[in-house]
Amino acid sequence: MTLVHTVAVGKRLLDGNDQQAAVNRARFEAAGTLAVNIMASPGAGKTSVIIRTLDALRGQARVGVIEGDIAGRIDADRVLAAGAAGAVQINTGGNCHLEAHMLTPALDALDLSDLDLVFIENVGNLVCPTHWALGEALKLCVLSTAEGHDKPVKYPEIFAVSDVIVLNKIDLIDLVDFERARFYESVRVLNPHAPIFEISCRTGTGVVAWADWLRQQLAAPALNRKER
Amino acid sequence: MSYLLETVQEQAQQAGAVRVRAINLVIGERASIFDDSLLFYFDLLTPGTVAEGARLNVRRTAMRFHCATCGEDYSRVDDTFCCPRCGTVGQVVADGSELLIESIEVES
Repeated sequence: MTLVHTVAVGKRLLDGNDQQAAVNRARFEAAGTLAVNIMASPGAGKTSVIIRTLDALRGQARVGVIEGDIAGRIDADRVLAAGAAGAVQINTGGNCHLEAHMLTPALDALDLSDLDLVFIENVGNLVCPTHWALGEALKLCVLSTAEGHDKPVKYPEIFAVSDVIVLNKIDLIDLVDFERARFYESVRVLNPHAPIFEISCRTGTGVVAWADWLRQQLAAPALNRKER
Repeated sequence: MSYLLETVQEQAQQAGAVRVRAINLVIGERASIFDDSLLFYFDLLTPGTVAEGARLNVRRTAMRFHCATCGEDYSRVDDTFCCPRCGTVGQVVADGSELLIESIEVES
């Protein structure tokens, strides 16, 4: 006779990833390296933000970059040319986000003890990357004005979990009818405290303020580190 | 998704199950995960496993808001988090962030 019964599980769907993320986090912390997971849509300017930041921190911090892309190594070459101390490309082979275990070879390849800061550029996507912790100390969301002020309402998770938000392409704000007040209002419902920096990677507007804030995090990274 | 399957296989084995009939998930509105993408991967991964043919049930939890001005409790309407009655920006009272394997139904 077949017996049917219900087994209570009660586990988070991504427990396995979170365990690997904790391993990565321990490696970053042991090396004293601040890891920043950059999440955004394709085209929001993730690589451009990295390049601008490399320039702003030149001579003040040694920065490594882990580039997550579905395929190719264009971005790794770009950031090396812009002054990154090391860059590793991870091709996800079709996966729409990075997962914690994918970082292992990249962490083996980079000399973390030589790096103050590592940017982990996630695959361009506003949904999936938000669920997979990588062991980062900070989650950075980059949104560009051209994507519209309604994105926090449509994609709440990324704005809720980010530690800092960069609003890029601020030079286009009047051309693309981006309503700043509505954007801030929605973000603040989800995330009352994350700093928001308005920048333009094209003109350089706002980059100094963003880089200053990041430099402060390098000085006191433990303040913002939290498990999720 | 592979973690979901691993967990289900592990729990099914512990329960001495020969087949998994259903998997009950809880996924919050904030997570923006759609049933179609879950089902797509699930159907790719389960053939040949104890979970082959299992039903994937998804219970959705909504983001809920409270309006301190007029007292309305509400869910999001259209492209705003504002109160549908008076237009004030509400406060989050349920964040809809769940991503949980709640239980499995097994045959033994």
